Amino acid sequence: MNAKIKLATLLITLSFCLSSCKKEKYITDAGNLVPKTVDHDPSLPSINVNGSQLHSQAFGPADSTLIICLHGGPGENFQYMLNCKSLADKGYRVVFYDQRGSGLSQRFPHEWYVNQGANAIEKIFYDDLKGVINHYKTQPSQKVVLLTQSWGSMLGTGYAGKYPNDIDGLILAEPGGLKWDDVIEYVGNSRSFGLWSEILNDVTFIDQFLTGKENQHEILDYKLTQLSIANSIVGDMKLNLGSNGIYYKSVRKGAVIASASFEVGQKYKPDFSEGISDFKKKVLFFYSSNNKAYPDNWAQKIFSVYPNKDVFKVQGVGHSGMIDQIDTWSNVTEPKVLEYLNNL
Amino acid sequence: MKKLNIIIIVIAIVFCLQKVNAQVINWNSTDSIKHIVTANFGLDYSVSYGIGYGYKLNTKFPLIINANFSMPSGENLVDDFKTTIGGQIQLLNISNFIGSLAIHGIYRRHETDMVRLQNFGSDMKGTFGYYRSHWFVAAEAGFDKAIVTHFKHSQAFKDEVYADVIDGWYEPATGGNFHYGLQIGVSFGKHDIYFNAGKIMQQDFKTSPIIPIYAKVGYNFKFGKYVITKPTTN
Repeated sequence: MNAKIKLATLLITLSFCLSSCKKEKYITDAGNLVPKTVDHDPSLPSINVNGSQLHSQAFGPADSTLIICLHGGPGENFQYMLNCKSLADKGYRVVFYDQRGSGLSQRFPHEWYVNQGANAIEKIFYDDLKGVINHYKTQPSQKVVLLTQSWGSMLGTGYAGKYPNDIDGLILAEPGGLKWDDVIEYVGNSRSFGLWSEILNDVTFIDQFLTGKENQHEILDYKLTQLSIANSIVGDMKLNLGSNGIYYKSVRKGAVIASASFEVGQKYKPDFSEGISDFKKKVLFFYSSNNKAYPDNWAQKIFSVYPNKDVFKVQGVGHSGMIDQIDTWSNVTEPKVLEYLNNL
Repeated sequence: MKKLNIIIIVIAIVFCLQKVNAQVINWNSTDSIKHIVTANFGLDYSVSYGIGYGYKLNTKFPLIINANFSMPSGENLVDDFKTTIGGQIQLLNISNFIGSLAIHGIYRRHETDMVRLQNFGSDMKGTFGYYRSHWFVAAEAGFDKAIVTHFKHSQAFKDEVYADVIDGWYEPATGGNFHYGLQIGVSFGKHDIYFNAGKIMQQDFKTSPIIPIYAKVGYNFKFGKYVITKPTTN
């Protein structure tokens, strides 16, 4: 009897081992858990800028005022900004692109970013933005407007401060901070989850299931996507892109660019407001009523650096709702944007 | 023979799953103990609560087989949990300096609005320290390997994030974390109170989990005794 029990145990064990040793799907293969990037999927629309293949789409007449949309992150993607595509129907040339290492754009190793040293922000983000503008600009007199949100607004502010004559308009939506210490403070305030909360374990428990090495983009990007849960502190809601969602069906985060950007930020403490006092053109500044980490006094602190601005508080939405909620975009944000564009 | 079967099963599980949540034990106060029930609370990738049971075999090298269950705090109590089954054996005992090895198979589950993950893994941990009958202090180090994971994505994920995501079992190992730290405890009668804490590092030795430390406070209740009979001589 004992021999039979042992034999059965061994057989069960063996069959379990054999079944568990079968070749299965690989987490490191793009396309399994995360979509392929433009360098692996030729069907995706892309442009080549500064040696990087960027996922990009443009809508509207090529010769009209260029509106370059800058998404948040670093490491996000332009999908949530697609409501802005409606500006193409109003006669503007609306350009979307996933920043280097973000969304469906080509990936680069962590070392590439940090090796840019003290000029990392300029080399990674400003030069690419300049390249995107040059790619889509059809004539020297064509006006260029940056339409930005969150990190995109920090990037847009830094670019306008560095190249004030290259930009004709700057539309901002809740840049978290412009000086590095403010960035850190905002990030901390917007992610202070309760120690006992479900949201905390949703974010942290996964660390024992998935770990990725420094440049295992597929694992790290997937994990970052899983961490991007609705954040009640900043008032995030489910995306509502109306019919615009069809233009970008697959979402992917850029984990390496996100961590590398934070690393170079911590090391060099960039000031994105540098030079912005020289940008005398009007800035349109939005902030939201539902972002608890962005109260009126914080908004005032941030927008005080712009010499010429219109400030508008959007009611009933959070950090990105003025753009990613179709009703708010159509009825509140877009009319303000059109009024601003008409007066440029 | 019954004990042999148990040992085979434990080893088989460990071998198949390749890898714990060992109980913290005062090896110097378990001499003739049969059962150990434990409860603990602390940080283990999140704020978590755990319970466990250990059965001490009366073998030449003290061996405890045990099973543990833990789950993180949060509004949804059953969507995330971790279970372990395995054993820990005392390999060395020189003048109250005791070394032990614990090997456990793991089944764990994690669910969010986007995905449900189920994972089989393993954890191997070595402990070495100084044990007296009323207190102990020891160093511990181990490796937790997530060997094979099943992904099942929600319709919301497919609608809003990635429609073509492929569900199913994924290999090779999807994750692994080293952990090392200290454990201390006091023992009185049938009771142990212990605390262990340390650092967690991912297997690339460069990055850490969001919560890069573990820390647990626990309580053991020991009961049931082996009757030691002396051999008779004719």
